[in-house]
Amino acid sequence: MSNTINATLECQNLTKTFNATDPPAKVLNGVDLTVKDGEFLVVMGASGSGKSTLLYCISGMDRPTSGSVHLQGQDLTSLSDTEMSQVRLTQMGFIFQQGYFLGNLNIRDNILLPALKAAPRATDAAIERVDNLMERFGIAEVRLHGITEVSGGQLQRASICRALASEPTVLFADEPTGALNSSMSTDVMDSLTDIHASGTTIVMVTHDPVCAARGDRVIYLRDGLLLDSRELGAWSEAHATKREDELLAWLREHGF
Amino acid sequence: MKRSLYFRYGYNDLIRNKGVNVALLILLVMSSFLMATGAMVMERSVGAVNALLDEAKPPHFLQMHKGDYDREALDTFATAHPEIESWLIEEMLGFDGGTISWSRPSSGEFGDFSSSLIDNLVVTQNDDFDFLIDGAGAIPRPSTGEVYVPVGYQQSFALQIGDEITIRTDSGNQDFTVRGFVRDSQMASSLSSATRFLVSDTDFQNLTEAGGGDPEIIAEYRLSDTSLIPKFERSYESDDVLPKNGQAVTFQMIQIINAFSDGLVALALVFVSGLLVVIALLNLRFVIRGTVEDEVREIGVMKAIGLPSKAISGLFLAKYSVMTLLGCAIGGVLAVVATQFLTQSVQANYAQAPLGPQTVLVPVLALLVVYLIVIAMCRGVLRGVRKVEVVSALVHGSTLDEKQTARRAKRLARRARGTNLASAGRGNMNTRLALLDLRAEASQWLLIPVVFALATFLIVIPTNLLTTFESPRFVTYMGAPESALRADLQFSDDVDAAHQQLLSSMRADDRLSQVRDYANVLYETPGEEGWETLRVEVGDYSAGTVAFIGGRAPQEGEIALSVLNADQYQLSAGDEMSLRHGKGDATETVVISGIYQDVTSGGHTAKMNGDVISGATGYVIYADTAEGADPAAIARQYNDDNPVATVIPMQEYVKQTLDYVTTAFRNAAILAGIFGVGVALLITILFLKLRLTRERTKMGVLSAIGFSSREIASQVRFKVLLTVVVGTLVGSIFAATVGEWLVGAAISQAGLGIARLDFIPNPWLVYLAHPLILIAAGYAGAVALTVRLRTPNKSAWLKGRQE
Ligand SMILES: Nc1ncnc2c1ncn2[C@@H]1O[C@H](COP(=O)(O)OP(=O)(O)O)[C@@H](O)[C@H]1O
Ligand SMILES: [Mg+2]
Repeated sequence: MSNTINATLECQNLTKTFNATDPPAKVLNGVDLTVKDGEFLVVMGASGSGKSTLLYCISGMDRPTSGSVHLQGQDLTSLSDTEMSQVRLTQMGFIFQQGYFLGNLNIRDNILLPALKAAPRATDAAIERVDNLMERFGIAEVRLHGITEVSGGQLQRASICRALASEPTVLFADEPTGALNSSMSTDVMDSLTDIHASGTTIVMVTHDPVCAARGDRVIYLRDGLLLDSRELGAWSEAHATKREDELLAWLREHGF
Repeated sequence: MKRSLYFRYGYNDLIRNKGVNVALLILLVMSSFLMATGAMVMERSVGAVNALLDEAKPPHFLQMHKGDYDREALDTFATAHPEIESWLIEEMLGFDGGTISWSRPSSGEFGDFSSSLIDNLVVTQNDDFDFLIDGAGAIPRPSTGEVYVPVGYQQSFALQIGDEITIRTDSGNQDFTVRGFVRDSQMASSLSSATRFLVSDTDFQNLTEAGGGDPEIIAEYRLSDTSLIPKFERSYESDDVLPKNGQAVTFQMIQIINAFSDGLVALALVFVSGLLVVIALLNLRFVIRGTVEDEVREIGVMKAIGLPSKAISGLFLAKYSVMTLLGCAIGGVLAVVATQFLTQSVQANYAQAPLGPQTVLVPVLALLVVYLIVIAMCRGVLRGVRKVEVVSALVHGSTLDEKQTARRAKRLARRARGTNLASAGRGNMNTRLALLDLRAEASQWLLIPVVFALATFLIVIPTNLLTTFESPRFVTYMGAPESALRADLQFSDDVDAAHQQLLSSMRADDRLSQVRDYANVLYETPGEEGWETLRVEVGDYSAGTVAFIGGRAPQEGEIALSVLNADQYQLSAGDEMSLRHGKGDATETVVISGIYQDVTSGGHTAKMNGDVISGATGYVIYADTAEGADPAAIARQYNDDNPVATVIPMQEYVKQTLDYVTTAFRNAAILAGIFGVGVALLITILFLKLRLTRERTKMGVLSAIGFSSREIASQVRFKVLLTVVVGTLVGSIFAATVGEWLVGAAISQAGLGIARLDFIPNPWLVYLAHPLILIAAGYAGAVALTVRLRTPNKSAWLKGRQE
């Protein structure tokens, strides 16, 4: 299989059918997708169109029914559950709409968890890296707090730290701003833009055109099929409004 | 409207939580089944014993005697005691089991009773009381040539009406036809050392004249009032001239002995069911709390539309009432079947217990108790519904109000601050997370160790009782040393000569070692009513004999007393006691060296250091057998060579006398084992099912971070294993300490002469096999539930979808 040298992630003819429901739910119907190295890809589409499922299938949380996923040339669909978990641990990071933290660990330990698991012996290095991350995303002062003691915005930034803790190749974000008000939302998007700038590949699902405008490219899903794709080019603060307007117009064409 | 709401709610819940509801129902069925069975067995047993005592009219006091006696003295005694309602002297002829054989002309089968070690006494039917009762509850009077055989033998030897019985006498065989089977109120219990055959007056006369039988009498009395028995017993004992070369038995002892063996089954069942009910309650509490938490949003909606809290908790309560009721009904029906099975032998040995209102009332009451306890507990837990606040229920999906939520958050945060994942132990991340979980959710997980501790208790106690009663060492609780053989020489004219002969041949026998010789001597000691008879075993106790619960074995000038005698005379080790042989003889003073337990001779015995003199009322010789020798074969040989002596292998003797009891304990142990392991497994599964549902999000997070299904499952299994092991350990320690103490207290209350029961456990069984089985059951439950974690769609954990 010939990979273009700068493709980080490549899906071919990806399908997913859930058999638990009656009739079986055909959620992905053959998605072909290539994510370039360092790209910030935004996935949009109506609710229920299969965006989350696409992320879960790529990351191996769910097994695709058919099709293939390659991460840096490695075929993920042939991996065992344990091997796939190792890939998630070392090469992927996740950010969800809700924080999803372990309640009996403080913020810092939650962030440390993947780093410690990935490198059990390099405890000091992990701690240093995590402390730097928390400093960078402005949550250093709440690092020993319980997860119920911080704001939603802080929690989501902690999420980002956790996703970055084991230095992933690709970061998945499923509606990371969905539960936040607009100022917190901007904070989080600034963080993601920052991460992107430092070279991490990002695949983000969102409903919000303002957030989507941050991406390099937007794809549109409908009924489990990739309907269309639009290059936005590099984001800059100055052209934000124009980008958002153009994007919205494009989205309206697809019935957004 | 309300009813249909209840119905719809109940129906939906039933469909949604099928597994949980079925498991709960099974638990309720098991609890109510055992409770009802215990109650019914008890009612049936008591009924059967009482029915037999009613029909047979056993004596209120009886004294067995071998040898000559003064008939006139008995008459004088009777006239001097107006409280005697009626009295009689029962004449009996004792035959060794080997001299009585049976045959079945129709099939040619035959055999003898030599394997039975108890005395076979041939008697005639009494006129006034102490009747032998046939299967129909009538008082049979055999014609010449007919015999009624004890029901115990009917069962052990599978005898039938029409079989021939032949008794070997000194002047040839006498034949009888089995006309029926009789039950014996005095000697029905397996703890009794004798059993009675019924023949006609003519045949009894013939047997007496034929010789070969051992004549023996029982002086029997019925009093106008049973409360007079203790005083009557003392005045009989203190009367010098009355016959008393044998055991004295009171009505109370007859009752206790009869109730003992079967009462134990019932008690064991009640014990098992009691623990099960506790387990069921704990579990129900856990489930109800979980259900309320799961359905907090529905509760919030109902509250929001104005349904009163009472109506809402009524919804839940209705469901659990119906379930409990159903459990009790199924358990009750199963109990009827089980009771019939369990009381078969009681009904045969005693009488058909009459069916009365209490037959239905007792088990129904027991079930009602189960029902009420369960419902009361449900109500208690459901009180939490009242506290649910609409806003926190709807918005946060929380059963807690704002203050509680805040407090909880604080507590959680404090704990989170306190932990430090990087330095928390050196173990791998899965172990560390599991331990942190256990700490954070201790109040939930507590259910598992508690249940396993109770289950261990449940299994270990009956097993320990069984191994204790089966142990060769148990004879030391019965007033005998631990030895291989026991030779018994009862009083007869030539007993001294026979004793000398037997003793010298046993001493010369190199298959035997440690031959210990004891004489049974009647002494007198001052009691409340003047001088009373004291049965004393005289001999050398230096080689170690019975176990002493206080003090030590008697040495020169010392005597040891059985527990019941020590109680009666208010004596303890170090005290002095006066003894004399009879009126006019010199009084000697001996020092009490120690107290031991004894269940033989009604528990009233003593052991004194001294030479084995002649002129005793009987002798007992104990001996050990050499390695490889068969005690049974040696016993048989000595029996054949010494007609006056009864030589039995000790192990066999203990087995036969305690057979009933050990059977009861074995049944209880098996039942407890099955139920204990079953319940442990059931609850592990139930608990995990609910727990895992609640931990889905957490599992989803772990999976997204990069924990494999295998690792997530291993965390759960580790948590289960740890809690199960802790519970089982605690249960084992508890059973060995508190359990032993409790059981000991219960047994000592039974008035059998056992003051302290130290378990003789089989350590491999109770400290290795049982715990391992329990732990394996718990682990199997964990594995069964965690294999499902290998789902191909782990994102469902994060979506709150049911897979
Ligand atoms: N585990 C599952 N079993 C059955 N159906 C599912 C499952 N997960 C998702 N679906 C269905 O797949 C469709 C797409 O879901 P999802 O990918 O979450 O959509 P989106 O994220 O685009 O809103 C939905 O209709 C949803 O009901
Ligand atoms: Mg989604």
